[in-house]
Amino acid sequence: MDALDALAGACADVRPAEPEEGVLGVAPRYVAAPATVEEASALLRAAAGHGLAMVARGGETRLDWGPPPTRCDLLVDTRRLDRIVEHAAGDLVATAEAGVPLDDLNAALGAHGQRLALDGPPGSTVGGTVAAGAAGPLRLRYGTPRDLVIGLTIVRADGTVARSGGKVVKNVAGYDLGRLFAGSFGTLGLIVSATFRLHPLPPARAFVSQTYGSAAEAYDAVHAVLHSQADAAAIECATAPGAGHRVDVLLEGVAEALPARSDRVASLIGGTVAEQAPDGWGAYPDGSALIETSVPPASLKDLLTGPHAATAALTWSASGHGWAALPAGTPPERVAEVLAALRSIGGAVVRFAPEDVRAAVDVWGPVPALALMRRVKDQFDPEHRLSPGRFAGGI
Amino acid sequence: MSTSLDRLAARCAALLGPDAVIGDPVRLRTYECDGLTTHRAAPGLVVLPESADQVAAVVRACAAEGVPYVARGSGTGLSGGALPRTDGVLIVTSRMRRILEIDIPNQRAVVEPGVINLDVSKAVRPHGYYFAPDPSSQQICSVGGNVAENSGGAHCLKYGFTAHHVTACEVVTPDGEIVKLGEGPGYDLLGVFVGAEGTLGITTKITVRLTRVPETVRTLLAAFDSIESGGTAVSAIIGAGVVPAAIEMMDALAIEAAEAAVGCGYPAGAGAVLIVELDGPDGEVAHQFDQVERLCRDAGAFEVRVAADDAERALIWTGRKSAFAAVGRISPAYLVQDGVIPRTALPGVLARIDALSAASGVRVANVFHAGDGNLHPLVLFDDAEEGAAERAEEVSGAILDLCVEHGGSITGEHGVGVDKARYMPRMFTAEDLDTMQMVRCGFDPTGLCNPGKVFPTPRLCGEVPGVRKGPHPLVAEGKAELF
Amino acid sequence: MVAETPRDRQNLLGDCVHCGFCLPTCPTYVLWGEEMDSPRGRIHLMAQREEGAPLAPMVQHFDQCLGCMACVTACPSGVQYDRLIETTRAEVEDEHPRPLRERVLREAVFRLFPYRRRLRAVRGPLRLYQRSGLPALVRRSGVLERISPTLAAMERLAPPLGPAPRLPERVAARGGRRATVGMLTGCVQGEFFPGVNAATARVLALEGCDVVIPRDQGCCGALSLHSGRAEEAAAFARATIETFESVDVVVVNAAGCGSSMKEYADVLADDPAWARRAAAVAAKTRDFAEFVDELGPRAERHPVPATVAYHDACHLSHAQRIRSQPRRLLAGIPELTVREIADPDVCCGSAGTYNLFQPEAAAQLGDRKAGTVRATGAELLVAANPGCSLQIATALRRQGTDIAVAHTAQVLDASLRGLGRAALL
Repeated sequence: MDALDALAGACADVRPAEPEEGVLGVAPRYVAAPATVEEASALLRAAAGHGLAMVARGGETRLDWGPPPTRCDLLVDTRRLDRIVEHAAGDLVATAEAGVPLDDLNAALGAHGQRLALDGPPGSTVGGTVAAGAAGPLRLRYGTPRDLVIGLTIVRADGTVARSGGKVVKNVAGYDLGRLFAGSFGTLGLIVSATFRLHPLPPARAFVSQTYGSAAEAYDAVHAVLHSQADAAAIECATAPGAGHRVDVLLEGVAEALPARSDRVASLIGGTVAEQAPDGWGAYPDGSALIETSVPPASLKDLLTGPHAATAALTWSASGHGWAALPAGTPPERVAEVLAALRSIGGAVVRFAPEDVRAAVDVWGPVPALALMRRVKDQFDPEHRLSPGRFAGGI
Repeated sequence: MSTSLDRLAARCAALLGPDAVIGDPVRLRTYECDGLTTHRAAPGLVVLPESADQVAAVVRACAAEGVPYVARGSGTGLSGGALPRTDGVLIVTSRMRRILEIDIPNQRAVVEPGVINLDVSKAVRPHGYYFAPDPSSQQICSVGGNVAENSGGAHCLKYGFTAHHVTACEVVTPDGEIVKLGEGPGYDLLGVFVGAEGTLGITTKITVRLTRVPETVRTLLAAFDSIESGGTAVSAIIGAGVVPAAIEMMDALAIEAAEAAVGCGYPAGAGAVLIVELDGPDGEVAHQFDQVERLCRDAGAFEVRVAADDAERALIWTGRKSAFAAVGRISPAYLVQDGVIPRTALPGVLARIDALSAASGVRVANVFHAGDGNLHPLVLFDDAEEGAAERAEEVSGAILDLCVEHGGSITGEHGVGVDKARYMPRMFTAEDLDTMQMVRCGFDPTGLCNPGKVFPTPRLCGEVPGVRKGPHPLVAEGKAELF
Repeated sequence: MVAETPRDRQNLLGDCVHCGFCLPTCPTYVLWGEEMDSPRGRIHLMAQREEGAPLAPMVQHFDQCLGCMACVTACPSGVQYDRLIETTRAEVEDEHPRPLRERVLREAVFRLFPYRRRLRAVRGPLRLYQRSGLPALVRRSGVLERISPTLAAMERLAPPLGPAPRLPERVAARGGRRATVGMLTGCVQGEFFPGVNAATARVLALEGCDVVIPRDQGCCGALSLHSGRAEEAAAFARATIETFESVDVVVVNAAGCGSSMKEYADVLADDPAWARRAAAVAAKTRDFAEFVDELGPRAERHPVPATVAYHDACHLSHAQRIRSQPRRLLAGIPELTVREIADPDVCCGSAGTYNLFQPEAAAQLGDRKAGTVRATGAELLVAANPGCSLQIATALRRQGTDIAVAHTAQVLDASLRGLGRAALL
């Protein structure tokens, strides 16, 4: 039996790939879209039988992140795994399949006054968000997928379905594979469904914003709020070459207390209060290359004033996590300089960049514990068929 | 001929100094159990390293001799996670207790694993910060132990667990390397290390996140006729979109015990008391606190006491915090269970526990973190009475079955350890457990690091990954049992 | 001593659920981080002993226990470690042959300290020695350390001695009489800290008490009781009971003495002729601060503008649970600032005879305590036990800091008499 027949026998929706479905230029042979966990399991078992390498695809918001796969025979499209399996409102938990768009999930939860506190850019699926470990400004208060996934169902490279965690928030039975898979970019297994801890939607929110002429003022404003009793849900700082240093603070809470709270923050940082999110709130900075940074709050001034700041548009959350974007046409040597400057004050990983740039720079930077990571990878995917080459250290 | 343990003892004495090695049988036996005394095994050797290098040297020496080892902090665990091996080495971190760095601008502190949980908070309190995980043993449990167990506490409802408050760990891996987890790109190995109950390595340095001391803390005690109306209040509070810092509930028997032990003065005749604590910015808390008070009364609270100051707040908490130990005053012996159910299943499950208790004649006192459905039934028995312990154990196990049946967990915070490994198959399939153990095989292929914990059956790491066909080789050899 | 049936003892041991809450307050666990040198570990050893394990490897760990009873305060399960360690110590004394040198020293200590006349006899030569310039020489030479660390510790700890005025047998109340109280003068307190007793008597009188100070009083038995010398302790107790039976209240200003007198009922429970009398005296024994606080202030408090650190003596805070009363008394003095010492529950290492028999551990604990005392920035250390004051002052001196020490009674005395800070510093 040839591979296509085997795949088709396992999954109802299998077809040859279109040329434009390539992952960073690596064109798969087949595209399969399982609609159930069982189908996904059978599909991966069939792929294993034929030694097919695979890449998972959700909303395609981050498919171009990381290096191209070293090989890709099968593209697994998760978008038919689209059920919100359960929303236990009284327990503040929800389970959704991998292909459910995050926006749809949050719309459904919002109807019950609840939310999944992951506010990444629109279009992402549940599976993609978990696989990328992606989160927006709310990460300051609520963390990232690793902090909010309480149960995860995956299909292993050999087709075995495995589950960890459960559907209760407080649970320490067994290893937490949810945290291991969060941010693993599809290299350990196919995420098919996730159970999340939810939070109540805040009755009211307010943004306090100010743009400063100097990095020092922005630094002071951020630290004033961070170390105050403001209890901010998000503190963001952004700048771009030639622009000022903008600080935005998000406060959430009961409507009765919010005006006083936001006034307090406004006077603390000399800012103005608005109900609506400022432009570009939570969006990645614009550019043809995107770098994910980790710079701790005490080094914010260095982030805003370092040699990279002459080229890069920057956003940063007081959680210590941020983004740097470089304009089209930035030469690879300059990108390398920017990376070196960022790595001297924290971490920097190139998420996407033009091919010539990607080829010329160290995309990942230092990867501590790489040997251990390889050993874990070898356990889950001994044949290196899951998104091969797309992850840190060439995993 | 010297045994491998003799050779290790000599090697460790050379590496760490003779004062850091305990080999005398009488002294060794004082390490035979942690906070769970139903499982005991005197270690073959105890070592007390003072640095990561010493830990790594001991681990390498163990690896060279093929001798298993177990790490232990303060020895307060409640699942036997630090139960020693008679044929192995117990690596005790109680001398690694320096707070290495306090970095307020970055809201971080770096501590050694033997540092006591509460001491972190004490050290940063003058700066207006604290370390949020507050297991009830926080005055003695070590941060290293918190990492192993992913400890929570009464306030984890709002603030989360140790995993959410540890940003990096220096770890001695089972091959004796010192590596840093939680920094740089790649897999979140830190995420899986925290809560792995010491089976993936030994942490030697922990970077913890510090949390701002809230502007306001307000606490109330509400007394209800019954657990049901208390449960209604909990649902109403959560349903109203309030996320309290803590919601704790105790039933009549637990109240009786606490009263006997510490005279906490809870309202007489209460079938259940609820402790609700809110914290955060003044205005926010003030508004929600009124709401909570109202919701408690609406649910049938016949008395609501609001703590006016820290002393009154402490008094409210005294009864709750003493409850475990206090049960010793109303029963010669007891088992503490730790199960989790979805919060909404609370009334039904408690009724079933009542029925179990009535049918078996075994008394059960209930203390629980009601906000997150974490039950701590205290199963009472008289150890002098023949068969009583077995009956208590049976009821205790049946309660776990109830939890699993309702989509919950067999442990919310005590861990699986050695105590609950046999219950794991009730919650997870063989494939689930096999998959988890793939992580262990990646970290510890020889299985010397805290063996026999968490999983009922070890996975042979040389195996080709995949679902086993036929019995596990160890089962076939009669060396292990699959429950 | 209460005779325990094996079943009693099993029950007492069984009360320990091994939760570990005692560990952080145990001085030796704080020092060494070893299970055998923690209350939980020692109870485990006692349980092993019940099962027939050899005593020899355990003795060191029982000896190393300071008997500070911080664990009793910390224990949520109500384990009576105080009773357990006392019986265990008695067992050790009965069954464990100590090496000759240890035996000689222990005998010397127990034949000296509980006897005021003998203590008085060494006062003279000690005073001479202290004035001679010899101490510096002796300390530099380390000769005593070589002969015996215990002797060296005694030499280091001996307080600078001034004249010891004799107290009258009766001090009359000022103003209207509110009570008649007996006062225990204590052996070490009486001979080495006579100023404390004088201050105690004055404060009691100024607060309206007739103070009776029987001249023929002896040792209360605390040292013996806390070292497992049960019979000796009982004999001291009987004599002390006879001395104080006639007064309404016995006021004790040394924490160790107070706690042992409050235990008299247990000490003589098995002696039918004495049990009731012992219980009666125990019931009317009060610590100085406890009593004065209970009595309520009547005499005027004058300002004492000074910053003090209050140290909880273990036998006051843990054994007698007296923590708030002395703080209240000090807080009632105008212009006096009271600073709290970090880790107040951890013993200073004095612990009765501990700094004599376990000088090394005692010195380490003394250093820790001295560090926390220094961190308060206080100029005066206030403690209610002579041993603690000696111990901490010695440790501070080792660290190059001289701090004035005073008993709560002396601070109150200075305030009541309007002496200001000069009297204390």
